[in-house]
Amino acid sequence: MNFKHSLIVLSSILVSCNSTDKNSPTYSRWVGDIAHDPQIDGEHFQPCHGDDQIYQYFNMQRGLQFEGEKIAIERYFLKNYQPVKTNQSGWIRVRFIVNCIGETGRFRILESDENYQERPFDKKISHQLLQLSKKLKGWEIQTKDEEPVDYYQYLIFKINNGEIEKVMP
Amino acid sequence: MERYKACLAAEKISEHYQFTREFQSILDSAITIDPTWDYPYRAKSTAYLKSGDFITWKKLIDKAVAYDTLANLYYRGRCRFNFFRDYKGAIADFKMLKQVIYNQNKVKELLIHDDTHVDTFLALCYRSLGETEKAIEIMTSRMATPSYSSGLFDHLHLGCMYLEQEEYIEAIEQFKKQEAINDLAENRFYIAIAYKNVLDQENYLINLKTAKEYLQQGKRVHDYYVENIDKIYWANILEEEKGIPKGISVQK
Repeated sequence: MNFKHSLIVLSSILVSCNSTDKNSPTYSRWVGDIAHDPQIDGEHFQPCHGDDQIYQYFNMQRGLQFEGEKIAIERYFLKNYQPVKTNQSGWIRVRFIVNCIGETGRFRILESDENYQERPFDKKISHQLLQLSKKLKGWEIQTKDEEPVDYYQYLIFKINNGEIEKVMP
Repeated sequence: MERYKACLAAEKISEHYQFTREFQSILDSAITIDPTWDYPYRAKSTAYLKSGDFITWKKLIDKAVAYDTLANLYYRGRCRFNFFRDYKGAIADFKMLKQVIYNQNKVKELLIHDDTHVDTFLALCYRSLGETEKAIEIMTSRMATPSYSSGLFDHLHLGCMYLEQEEYIEAIEQFKKQEAINDLAENRFYIAIAYKNVLDQENYLINLKTAKEYLQQGKRVHDYYVENIDKIYWANILEEEKGIPKGISVQK
């Protein structure tokens, strides 16, 4: 049984059992799902298979897939990011969707200090990274059973005093 | 009794993918039954870790560590290192683990997971903080202990530490040991660099060629979720080839 079929069967079981939904109304379908927000997201970007069929980038068991591999991503940011003079350090995650034709959209930001406490960075840092992430081209189309799929991808920037120390994953 | 009931409740997650609301909700139920059980916190945390949500992950894994320190400290430290390159945080966890094991007189096997001793991670953290000499000292001390059993990448990492320190003979020795245990594109690439620096052109070319072949075959350091330390890429090979004088080739 493939992954998609497994999900359908499990969903059916859950519906028939009227299981735990009422106890967890705040959870989305999957952890980290990003719903379309007309205030933020352009109309041009759409997942090819709907919001309920979006995978995680590692579900296809190939890891991060980018033209030129991970090193190209890191070099792109190190080349184009302008360091900001500040004592702010911590992590910024930019999470988004890569659709079945390699387009990206629904970018969202998560920010924390060095102690994993949520707090915004100087906009000159976070906005810059967001814009650079949106401009980054080269995400590869991933397939499941030879069918191109939509998937969630993220980039985490470890920031040290306004400079990029490391790009992950 | 609560633990048993919570365990029965948590068993139901086996039917669900860890990212789903059902998986998360079932574990919430287990936590409601027994809020002091570490397992559901850690199990919940995994999806957040893999989706890069460092804030929620940390809150959950901290709970797991609080309720069972010995079982979760190595894991938390390793995740801090692998997923977030939180070197200082990981060092604090690894040191605390050693202290807890010492204080509670627990078996030292708890310092090893997936064939990798906590000292390997500790050394990698110090190296990433620029303290390579200290990292080498930790690695060589660990390797000198009678009970030492090599981790999958121990010699690769130690070789790279020596390479950084421009101690090429020691680096070559470690890469050869890595070759004997788990021969990869990475140890071949770095040993080529070491040979280049000791002006051994023949071994430089042979190993660079092998590194390229291994990369083509997928015989390389790889992880679906994180970038391994000392991983090499196609770009590294191609850039190295560009530096080779005309007339000498690493191609087949």
